[in-house]
Amino acid sequence: MSTFDKIKNIILEHLDIQEDDITLNADFMEDLGADSLDVAELIMSIEDEFNLEINEEEIEGMRTVEDVVEYLDKL
Amino acid sequence: MNIYVDGMGGDNAPEAIVEACVKAVGDFNKKIHILGSEIAINNELKKIGYTGTDIEIINTTEVVENEDEPSKVIRQKKDSSMVVGIRRLKEDPESIFVSAGSTGALLAGGTLLLGRIKGIQRPALTIALPSKKGTPTLLLDVGANADCKAVYLEQFAMMASVYAENIMGIQSPKVGLINIGTEANKGSELYKEAYVLLKESGVNFIGNVESRDLVESEADILVCDGFTGNVILKLTEGLSNYIMGSLKRSMTSNIRSKIGALLLKPALKKFKKQFDYKEYGGAPLLGVKAGIIKAHGSSDAKAFYNAIRQGIIFQEKKVLEKITNKTVEKL
Repeated sequence: MSTFDKIKNIILEHLDIQEDDITLNADFMEDLGADSLDVAELIMSIEDEFNLEINEEEIEGMRTVEDVVEYLDKL
Repeated sequence: MNIYVDGMGGDNAPEAIVEACVKAVGDFNKKIHILGSEIAINNELKKIGYTGTDIEIINTTEVVENEDEPSKVIRQKKDSSMVVGIRRLKEDPESIFVSAGSTGALLAGGTLLLGRIKGIQRPALTIALPSKKGTPTLLLDVGANADCKAVYLEQFAMMASVYAENIMGIQSPKVGLINIGTEANKGSELYKEAYVLLKESGVNFIGNVESRDLVESEADILVCDGFTGNVILKLTEGLSNYIMGSLKRSMTSNIRSKIGALLLKPALKKFKKQFDYKEYGGAPLLGVKAGIIKAHGSSDAKAFYNAIRQGIIFQEKKVLEKITNKTVEKL
């Protein structure tokens, strides 16, 4: 499963949105309707799934699905 | 059942918290674990002269401040009394956690560390308000979610209905939606949408209720977004403090009114008790997978003691289990 698909599944578990809404360009807050608590939940789930800890500075820079996918693929 | 208490949260911590815990261990015959600065808490225990063994201090080195961004607290203040307390609760879900600290951080910590009951989108803070009908009216959300979606309000109504049915023994509790008018088309888009959802939700929805009818309404449960609920809560407290203060001043202004006041004293005492937030103590955070009671930020020892008592009842009456079962049924 690609990183994008894994992220997509995590987003679908947490947010009440359609699969088609989740594109690489989608902004978590603007396009997917996530609030700060949703974002925190998503990050924790991603950390669990990928067994890592993302530092705060990196999180600040992540706005879109692509930002997260790129970060994870670079590791 | 273990009781975990945030020793550093609230305006009067740790003094008021420690004082409340000392009284609670004596009255309820339960062990209390206070989280916070061991030195500060020990100092308070010494001041009171407590030498018993029913209070255990769990030393933590950080404190969650109201200015801290709630969604970041659990990552940035891992060794705070609040975060460690919620973690303890996670390991020991039969226990309860009581805190007078930041509401937002408690909500975020509760949601992120414990998780929500399956199907619940957002937990809510509930408070019991005095009412004309005799039984208290539950008001929620009083501050957990400043921004709400209509579906959250529908779920708040459902959770509170379960709570009122099971804990307060009210059959088919009546649910009202706080609004600026009683007609169905009143209010903001959020409230219009919530009206439609509530009407179809299966709870006993009686329509919109204006805030002036808060005390006189026949509703057992009043739902609103957390911003509105918090404004109502603090306005009510402010007004009742002001009224009691004014009454006291005018009643003691001369001999004649002092005599009148003396005669009225028992009635006034009863009235004060009915409207005193300290009597109600705290509010449960409904919707998360363990028992969290949020005590008022300005809690004194009496208010915090009552919040502990409320937490014990919450656990003893298995409120959480009942809400979880009903939520699953209604999904």
